[in-house]
Amino acid sequence: MLSAPPPPERGASTADRSVPGTGATSSAVVAAGGGDAGLAAVLPATGPQRAEVTVVGDKTRAWRIRIAYFFLIAYALLMFVPFAWTVVTSFKTLEDSVRLTIIPQPFTTAAWDYAFNNLQPNIVQMFVNSFAIAIAVTITNVVLGSFAGYAFARLRFPGRGILFLIVLATLMIPDQLRMIPIYSIFNAIGFNKGVLQMVSIVIVLAISASSVFLLRQYFLTIPKDLEEAARIDGAGHWTTFTRVMLPLASPAIAAVTILQFQGTWNGFFWPFVLIRDQSLWTLPLGLTQFRLVGGFGTNWPPLMATVVLATVPILILYLFFQRYFVEGIAASGVKG
Amino acid sequence: MTAASARRPTKAASTRVGERQEALAGYALIAVPMLLFLVLNIGSILYAAFISLWKWNIRTGPVTFLGLNNYVNALTDSIFQAAVTNTVYYTVIWVPLTMALGLFLAVIVNQKIRGRTFFRGAFYFPAIASSAAISTIWIFIMNPFGLFNQVRGILGINPLFALIGFGPNQDWLGDYHTAMNGIIILNAWTTSGTFMIFYLAALQAIPHEVYEAAAIDGAGAWDTFRRITFPLLRPGHFFVATVGVIGGLQLFDQAVQIGNVDGAPANSLMTLVLYLYNAAFKRLQYGSAAAAGVLLFLIIFAATLIQRRLFEGREPTTA
Repeated sequence: MLSAPPPPERGASTADRSVPGTGATSSAVVAAGGGDAGLAAVLPATGPQRAEVTVVGDKTRAWRIRIAYFFLIAYALLMFVPFAWTVVTSFKTLEDSVRLTIIPQPFTTAAWDYAFNNLQPNIVQMFVNSFAIAIAVTITNVVLGSFAGYAFARLRFPGRGILFLIVLATLMIPDQLRMIPIYSIFNAIGFNKGVLQMVSIVIVLAISASSVFLLRQYFLTIPKDLEEAARIDGAGHWTTFTRVMLPLASPAIAAVTILQFQGTWNGFFWPFVLIRDQSLWTLPLGLTQFRLVGGFGTNWPPLMATVVLATVPILILYLFFQRYFVEGIAASGVKG
Repeated sequence: MTAASARRPTKAASTRVGERQEALAGYALIAVPMLLFLVLNIGSILYAAFISLWKWNIRTGPVTFLGLNNYVNALTDSIFQAAVTNTVYYTVIWVPLTMALGLFLAVIVNQKIRGRTFFRGAFYFPAIASSAAISTIWIFIMNPFGLFNQVRGILGINPLFALIGFGPNQDWLGDYHTAMNGIIILNAWTTSGTFMIFYLAALQAIPHEVYEAAAIDGAGAWDTFRRITFPLLRPGHFFVATVGVIGGLQLFDQAVQIGNVDGAPANSLMTLVLYLYNAAFKRLQYGSAAAAGVLLFLIIFAATLIQRRLFEGREPTTA
């Protein structure tokens, strides 16, 4: 679980008190992180096991569990079937793609060849574009988010409360309201050409309130003694932050990394608005444009192959780091 | 001057130096992130509000001062009205539907049953894919010859669909009667797992003793849920509803991916954000686009305040 730093007896209890309780957004966020000090919100698999409330007879209970499993399995199937169908279709021919054959007849990798060789821009190029933007945004969020998160959690300075409130308030600002000012500013400073279009996306997404909030909540749970010990040893604020606090915050940093990478990799709105050059398309942008204007609107098998390719990197991350996805979402609670 | 009184100011001074250093360190750390927040968020809203009062050229800036005319024009534009109607319809149906699904899943997965980690992971699974991927899959499944129509044919439930007026090859996302509902179901499918996770966190916050007390009183499972779990989840409801409404009012990705930027078919997928996008990049009316953006922000703000009111009130006691 994410509430790792030992020993958590101090700090944790003071965590939610210091979240400003005014304003709609902040209280919404408090509700997410509330009670358990943000990341410390413990989910069932990792938290202390709860005794089952057994008030009815064993027979009724057995039936209840059977019914529960029925729903669980049915819903889980609903979750997987569309993806499974996507994979199956990517190995079909176009004629077969609208038939209900579970094993492709004939089985062909033609769609995959098409996806690798006939897309404009090339699928590899789009991978590189998506990857570059996602990595850059992830790094800036981790660096700037831990800077701000640590300062808001642990350093006292005039205006701290109001500045943090401003950060939280940005959660309520729709991206679309920012679209026109941001588009004009980047136009005016010439960021609408070449690779600068990608840079402009990175700047817009460089820091999100959710990263700051998630890291701040985590820093709040780290016991103060460790910091004080470092101070007594003569370490300055910077050394204390980089050598003592940052390593302790690695679970929260992992959560921010996962959330930001996934969010940016999948992001559609800002690339759609800020990228004009086809060679700079990201995967979601390419996928949408191929279908809408790229001429293979109903050429299902290659479309499905592209869908699989665009999803696989996140799927791999999810298989390995599932708990960071789930706990990060639970703690930051802003991706809707 | 005694030694003691001499030491006191020195100590105070050193504390003051320490405080100043701490404050400086704080400002240094927040400088860059705060600058970005202030320019890209706060600055943007103010700039958007300013632009909304003008006929605006993207290169040269202000052309003519229009006052509130951009707002009046937007509010009286029938497409804007359609966009508001569609967006509100989507939000009003999608949020409660997804909340109900999320709560239902959370309560089941919260039970001590085997495999719940697997199920939790499975239910969140669709949320990891991009909207572009999800929309493409959905278009494929919902097309007239897609999986959905084929499966209902095999299941023999087509007469049921015929009763409500849908043929065997209904084009769900291409027919303006059903396109928005198609997006509602799509997004309920992808987001129910996210809401489940929010609700799981909220369920964990309910003290266990409450359930023990209920068990002693002989309350059944349904009673326990209805009288204890559901009311005690009030902060969770508020949070999920707020996140849902803020997200719902900004529906954009799926509308564009499915209906292209014109909100096809027949404006049925025209959302507020799509209207804004078109005003700016199709009609080059940046002023009216900014005005639509400000209106969207006001709607979101009002919705959040209303929900706060709704979910406020006396906290249920745990006794």
